[in-house]
Amino acid sequence: MNYFLKRTFQLLCTVFLVSLITFAAFYVIPGDPARVILGPEASDGQIDALRVELGLDKPLTTRYFEWIAGAFRGDLGRSLTFRQPVSRLIAQKLPVTLSIAAMSILMTVLVAFPLGIVASGRPGKFLDQLFSVLGHIFFAFPPFVLALLMTLFLGLTLKLFVAGEYISYTDSIPGFIASLFYPSIAVAIPKIAISQKFIRASIIVEKEKDYIRTAKSHGLSDTKVMFRHILPNSLVPIITVFSIIASEILGGILVVEMVFNIPGISRLLITSINARDFPLTEGIVLYLAVMTVIVYFIADILHSLVDPRIRLR
Amino acid sequence: MPKMIRFHPHSLFLIVGTAFVGIVLLLAMISFFYLPGDPMATDSATKLASPSPLHIFGCDHEGRDVLSRVMLGLRPTVTISLIGVLIAFILGMMIGSASGHFGGIIDNVLMLLADSIMAFPGILLALVFVAVIGKGLFSIILGFGIVFAPSYARIFRTGIRQLKDREYILQARMIGVKTPRLLIVHLFPGLVHQLAPAVVVGIANMALAESGLSYLGQGVQVPNPSLGNLLKDGQSYITSAPWMVIFPSLFLILYVLGLYFISEGIRMKYKAGGV
Repeated sequence: MNYFLKRTFQLLCTVFLVSLITFAAFYVIPGDPARVILGPEASDGQIDALRVELGLDKPLTTRYFEWIAGAFRGDLGRSLTFRQPVSRLIAQKLPVTLSIAAMSILMTVLVAFPLGIVASGRPGKFLDQLFSVLGHIFFAFPPFVLALLMTLFLGLTLKLFVAGEYISYTDSIPGFIASLFYPSIAVAIPKIAISQKFIRASIIVEKEKDYIRTAKSHGLSDTKVMFRHILPNSLVPIITVFSIIASEILGGILVVEMVFNIPGISRLLITSINARDFPLTEGIVLYLAVMTVIVYFIADILHSLVDPRIRLR
Repeated sequence: MPKMIRFHPHSLFLIVGTAFVGIVLLLAMISFFYLPGDPMATDSATKLASPSPLHIFGCDHEGRDVLSRVMLGLRPTVTISLIGVLIAFILGMMIGSASGHFGGIIDNVLMLLADSIMAFPGILLALVFVAVIGKGLFSIILGFGIVFAPSYARIFRTGIRQLKDREYILQARMIGVKTPRLLIVHLFPGLVHQLAPAVVVGIANMALAESGLSYLGQGVQVPNPSLGNLLKDGQSYITSAPWMVIFPSLFLILYVLGLYFISEGIRMKYKAGGV
C-alpha cells in the first residue's frame, strides 16, 4: 500500500509540474499575449477587452491557480473562436482519438506478442533474422507516411476503403470502428515493429535462466513453459516499453488523423493554433499531457503487480 | 583472400546505414551548388508531368521539378534534426550530470522535471512553441530540443551514478581532480557506448517529428519545401501524381532507416565487445 501512496504522490507532483509547464509556455512569454493573439492591427480597445476576457489583468499566480482550480472542476475556460467551453469541445473530439489509441495498442499487443515469441524460438535463424530486418524497416516508417502510402495503395488502388470517409460513432458503431481501422493500423505498424523486438529480447533473456532448464527437465511441455513461466516473467521490461509506446502513439495519432481526415482532437488542436485560440490550445495540451502521465502511472502499477519486488525499492 | 579484413555482423548495419544517410546528406549538400531544375518557378506546361528524362521525379501541381524540391526540402529536415539533437544533448548533459553527481534533493527535483517534460508526446510541445512564438525554425528547434533532452539526461544520470563509486573515479577525486574535469575526462568516456546510439536514434526521431510538424502545416512554411510539406502538397494529387508522395517519403525513410541502422550497428559493436 505504501508503494501505491508514494506513486500517487509522485503522480500528483508530475501533474502539477505538467500544468505549470503548460501554463508557463503560454503566458511567461515576452510581450502581451493579448497582442500576440489579436495581431499587430488590433486597436487598444480590442486588446483591453481581450485582456479582461482572458483575465490577463490579474497577477500571474492568481491566474494559474484559478486555471488549475477550474481544470479540476472540468472547466478550462472558453474558446475564443468557437465561443464554447473548452472542455465541451475536447469532450466531443476525445472519444475518436482515444478509440484510435485503444485500437492501435490492442493491435500492437495482438500482433507483436506472437511475432516476438516466434522470433525468440530459434534465435539467429532465418525467421528471426527476417523479423529483425523487417522490424527495422517498418520502424523507420513514420505513421503519417504509412498512412499516405496506405491511402494510395490500399485505398485508391485496391479499393479496400474509401479515402477520407469517416462515420461518426453516433451514426453507427461498426461503421465507426471500420473507419478507424486503417488509421489505427498506420499508427500501430511502427510500434509492432519495435515491440516485437523487445518482446523477443526479453523472452530470450528469461529462457536462458536456470529455472527454465529445471522446468523443462521435469518434463513440462514447451508451450506450458512458455505461457506459465517465461512470458509472465519477461513482462516487466515489456510493460515499460508499452508505456513509452502508448505515449508515442498519441503523438503519431495527431498527424495520422489529419491524413485520414478524421475529426479528432488533432484537427481541433491545429485549428486552435492557427486561430491563436490560446485557451483552447492550452486545454488540449494539458489534457493530452495529463493522459500520458496517467498512462505511465498505470504502467508503474502494473509493473508492481507483475513484479512485487519493485515496491521495495 | 588474406584475412586482413574481418567481417562482423555489425559492419553490415554500419555500412548500409552510412550509405543511406550518405545519399541523403550528399543530395542535401549538392543542393547548395546545383539543382536539376528551378524549385520555385511555376510552369503550367509541366503541370503534374510524370517522371521523364528531363524531370526524373516528375513535376508537381504547379509544374515545379520534384527532384529539386526534394533536394531543397532535405535541408530543413537535416538541419533541424542535427541542431535539435545537439541542443537536446547539451541540455540533457547538464541536467543529467547535475542530477547524477549531486544526488539528493537536486536529483529528485530534476528527475521529476524530466518526467514531466516526457509527458508531452513528441510533437506536442513543439506545437505549443509554434503557437506561442510563431511558426519558424527557432520554435521547432527549441521545442524539440526540450522534448528530447530528458532521454539524454537519464542516460547521463544513471551512468554517472553507476560509475561514480568506481575505484578510478575515487582515485581521481583523491588526487584532487576538479568536478568539471572529473565529469568530462573521467566519467563521460564511460558513457559513450550508451550515448552514441541514443544520439543517432535521436537524430532520426527528430527528423520524423519535424516532417510530421511540417506536414501539419506548422513547421517549414510554403513555398519553401521540406519533406513534410511536400507530402502535404502531394496528398491532394495522390491519384494523378503519386510521385509527389512517393519520392519525399522515400528520402525521409532512407534518412531515418539509415540512422537506425547506424545506431543498431554501434550498439551491436559494443555488445560484441569489439574494438
